Formats: sequence, structure tokens, C-alpha cells
Amino acid sequence: MNNTFNFNRFWLLVKRQWLEFGKIYLISLLVITGVFVLFYSWNFPDPDKDYRYNSDGFLNLYFRIPLFLTLGFIFISVIASSYFSMLGQKAKAIIELMAPASSLEKWLCGLFYTSILSVFSFLLVFYIVDLTFVTYIEKSIGHITFSTTSGPFPTPKTGVIGIRTLFSELLAHKEMRPMYGIPFMITSIFLLGSVYFNRFHYIKTAVVTMLFCSGLIYALVKVGMWLTLHKVQDSANFGYRSHNDEVFIYILMGTAFITLFFWAITFFRVKEKEV
Amino acid sequence: MIAINNLNFGYSKHSLLFKDMSMQLSAGHIYGLLGKNGAGKSSLLKNIAGLVYAQSGSLNVMGFNPAKREPELLADICFIPEEFHLPSIKIDAYIKANAPFYKKFDHAYLNVLLEEFNIPISNKLVNMSYGQKKKFIIAFGLATQAKLIIMDEPTNGLDIPSKAQFRKVMASALTDDRCIVISTHQVRDLDNLIDTVIMLDESTIALKASIEEITQKLTFKKMKELDETVIYAEPALSGFNVVVPNYHQEDSKMDIELLFNAVLAEKKKLKPIFN
Repeated sequence: MNNTFNFNRFWLLVKRQWLEFGKIYLISLLVITGVFVLFYSWNFPDPDKDYRYNSDGFLNLYFRIPLFLTLGFIFISVIASSYFSMLGQKAKAIIELMAPASSLEKWLCGLFYTSILSVFSFLLVFYIVDLTFVTYIEKSIGHITFSTTSGPFPTPKTGVIGIRTLFSELLAHKEMRPMYGIPFMITSIFLLGSVYFNRFHYIKTAVVTMLFCSGLIYALVKVGMWLTLHKVQDSANFGYRSHNDEVFIYILMGTAFITLFFWAITFFRVKEKEV
Repeated sequence: MIAINNLNFGYSKHSLLFKDMSMQLSAGHIYGLLGKNGAGKSSLLKNIAGLVYAQSGSLNVMGFNPAKREPELLADICFIPEEFHLPSIKIDAYIKANAPFYKKFDHAYLNVLLEEFNIPISNKLVNMSYGQKKKFIIAFGLATQAKLIIMDEPTNGLDIPSKAQFRKVMASALTDDRCIVISTHQVRDLDNLIDTVIMLDESTIALKASIEEITQKLTFKKMKELDETVIYAEPALSGFNVVVPNYHQEDSKMDIELLFNAVLAEKKKLKPIFN
């Protein structure tokens, strides 16, 4: 018997965990679907008022980005924070730790539920709701025309108002690509919190993360000032060269590193968890 | 089956619960682990199951180090904790999700046990009483055909008929390749069930002896007046219940509660008898 990893055992574990975790997950998914529908209905473009559209003639639905980010953060962090929370309760922890699966399998199962299933199901639910409303709105505004002279090159432009799904809008921006790793970083932090703390996992993880980030930003600013203040020429154009692409790569690498780091710590915490 | 060598364990480094504890447990026996509250009964069981880690010393359970929590060993351990949590699902769903982890799982035997304990398979776990849940996990645990059965206060929460059922089921569950360790502070519940007594006191094993050895070396009887041979006595109706050395090879039935109190009160007098 392979005591490290066995796919059949891993799949049995996924099915077993669904019994307990599935309910929390499905209820949370149902709640956020309801919130999406409510927000879209509340902010449905009113035909009696002027439509707001951008220079390309696409209808602006400004509420979508904050809704996507806020609910996305709440959903994936709550799911991740609840996954290993049972290990903090003696009555549940003994049954879980004595389940005949390896620590690696238990950890991978955690990653599957928190970083794969929760993130992608959130994206899917958001996309379906968004697409449904976009299709519906598109039908009702198909005949309305726009005329604009704004934009980077103020050439008069006219046409029929269009609408895009949020993902089509976001994918059109190349700068968004480095952000793809951020959901996984968030889940990795809250998953670690769920195994590290025995009680109040969510609040404790959020507070520790906030304190750590504040401290890090403060330290970076102070070190940056100490290194550069009165030592370099204070000119925006002095030797300045745009490194935008490099910055994005660094962001992606940074989030990937932090995610892998927290996942690794979580593995060892699960492996060494005591009751 | 279980070899404990020079085990040092404690929840803090400064106060150890076990100091240099060594012991061997073999298959084919039902061990009764007794001790006062806080003597370390549950902690010893958790050490054997790999749920906590010792400061030093070694533990060998069926050729494995339990601290590694390897699936092969976990599938051969049935741990019935004092406090436990079961998901709010039906019994058959629980069995379907958990039984496949145990290759030797005996469904027919489980049905026999559930019938013995009067638990309908269509019951929802969350709707059952604590006693019923306990009987269910005992039945499930025994049906796994695990070689090592560890039970922490299994009779807590069981009514009087259920305690009798429990004793009957456990007596029939013992096989030559199985080792059963039952911890309890309700010593009367183990009457006529265990074949070896392990008593913990003051960070060590105060007594480890089979019932046969105990009744060969000690006599449990009633006396009207105490004499100098008495090791331990408790007042009773019309005299005393006493423990005396068995100088004349008398047959007597071991009074487990009297023995327990005798060991705690007269450890120095009993030690030379069992060494």
C-alpha cells in the first residue's frame, strides 16, 4: 500500500469531505448567487434615464467590479477559512485525523476544495448571472445609438450601444493578467489560518494578515525613504524608463511565491496537528 | 502489537504526564486502562493512536510509528473517542462514504451489530441521542475489522441495558489477532470484560497485570475484623471489604473497584507483590 499518495484513496476522501463541507459550500454559493441577482436587478439600466457608456460605445455597469471583488473575496476566504476549522475542535479532529488517508491526501483535498472548486465555481456563477443579465439588457438596448468625441483620439464616433460581460471587459486589459494569482493567494492565507488557529479562524486570520501587511508596507516605506531620501535626484524624468511588463511579472511571481509558501506551511501544520 | 519504550510525554515541557513509561501490549487481549481523572488515560491512548507527539521515547504500533499517521496503520486502528462529532447525514450515507477506506470492512457484521444495538440504518445521525451515536461508532469501528481497538470512556452516555450489550459485543469481538484497549474511570463497567488491568498513577504505570495474576497474588474478600495481613480495607455492611495477599491460593473474584482504590492508596505495599 502506498502510504504517501493513492489516487483512489484521494478520490474517496474528496467524496467523504463533500458530506461535511459540501453543505457549507453549496449554501454559500446559493447565498452569493442570490446577492448577485439582487444587485443586478437593483442596478438594472433604466430605459427612462440616460445610459452611461464609454468611448467605445459599451454600456457601463459600474457596480460589477466592486461586487465581483468584494463577494469574491468574502466567498473564497470564508470557504478556505472553514475547511480545516474542524481540526481545532477535539470532537471533530480525532475523527478527521484518524481517517485512513495520508496527510498529503488530506492537504491536497483541502487545496482542491478551497483553491480550485471554490474559486472556479465563484467565477462560473458570476459569469452565468452576468451573462444572463447582459443578454437580457442587450435585447432591450439594441436600438439605442450613441455619439461621442471623447477617448484618446477625439474622433467623432457613432453607433449602437453595446454591452460586454465583465470577464470580456477584464480580459481585454492585459494588465489584469498578473492578478490571476491573487485568489489563490487569498485562499492559501485563509486555509493556513483554518489549520493554525483553533477558534475564530476567520477573524484571527484577517487581523493577523492586516497587521502583517500594515507592518510590511510601513517597513518598505521607511526602508525606501532611508535608502533614497536626499540621495537621489527628485525628478520624475531622470533616467525614468517604463518597466510596466516587468512589474506585472514580478506581481505574478510574488503572489505565486506567497501562495506556494503558505500552502507548504499548511501541509506541515496538517501533518503535525495534535489533538 | 504495541511497544512503548521510555516514553516521555506532557502538554508542557516542565510538567510531564508520563516519565520513562515502558509497556508492551499483545494481540488477543482486552486491556482495561484505569486511572484517576487527569492520570493520563486519554493521553496515553492518543499517543498510541498518533494524535499527540511524545517529547522523547519510542512507540511502535504494529510495526509503524503512529506519529506518521500512515494510512495502512490508520486503517487498522479503530479509535472511539470520548467526545466525537458525526455529520448530519443518514447512517447509510456515512457508511457509504467511510467504509471504502477499510479494505476488510464487514457490512454483514455491521448490520448484526446495529441490530444488536437497536439502531435502524435509515436513521439520521444528527437526530440520534448521544448514546445511540456512541453505539453506532462502536459498531462501525468494529466492522472495520481493525486489529487495534482503542476506546476512551466507551460506556459514558450508555444506559444500563446498553452497557450490558456493549460488554457482550466487546467480548465477542476479541480475536487472536486483535488487541482491545478500553479506558474508563467507571471501573465497574469493565467487570468480566477485561483480561488485563493497566493502572496509571503519578506519571507512571502503577500496575499492569492479568486478572489471573491478580487473583493468584491477591484475595478479595469480606472480613469482620482487620488483621495485619490486610493490604487495603473499605468499610462495608457487617465488616470490611479487604484486599489481602493470597498466601493460601484461595479462589476469589476480583473486585475491580477495590483493587483500583487499593493501588492508589497502598502502592508501596502492592508493588513488591507484582514485581
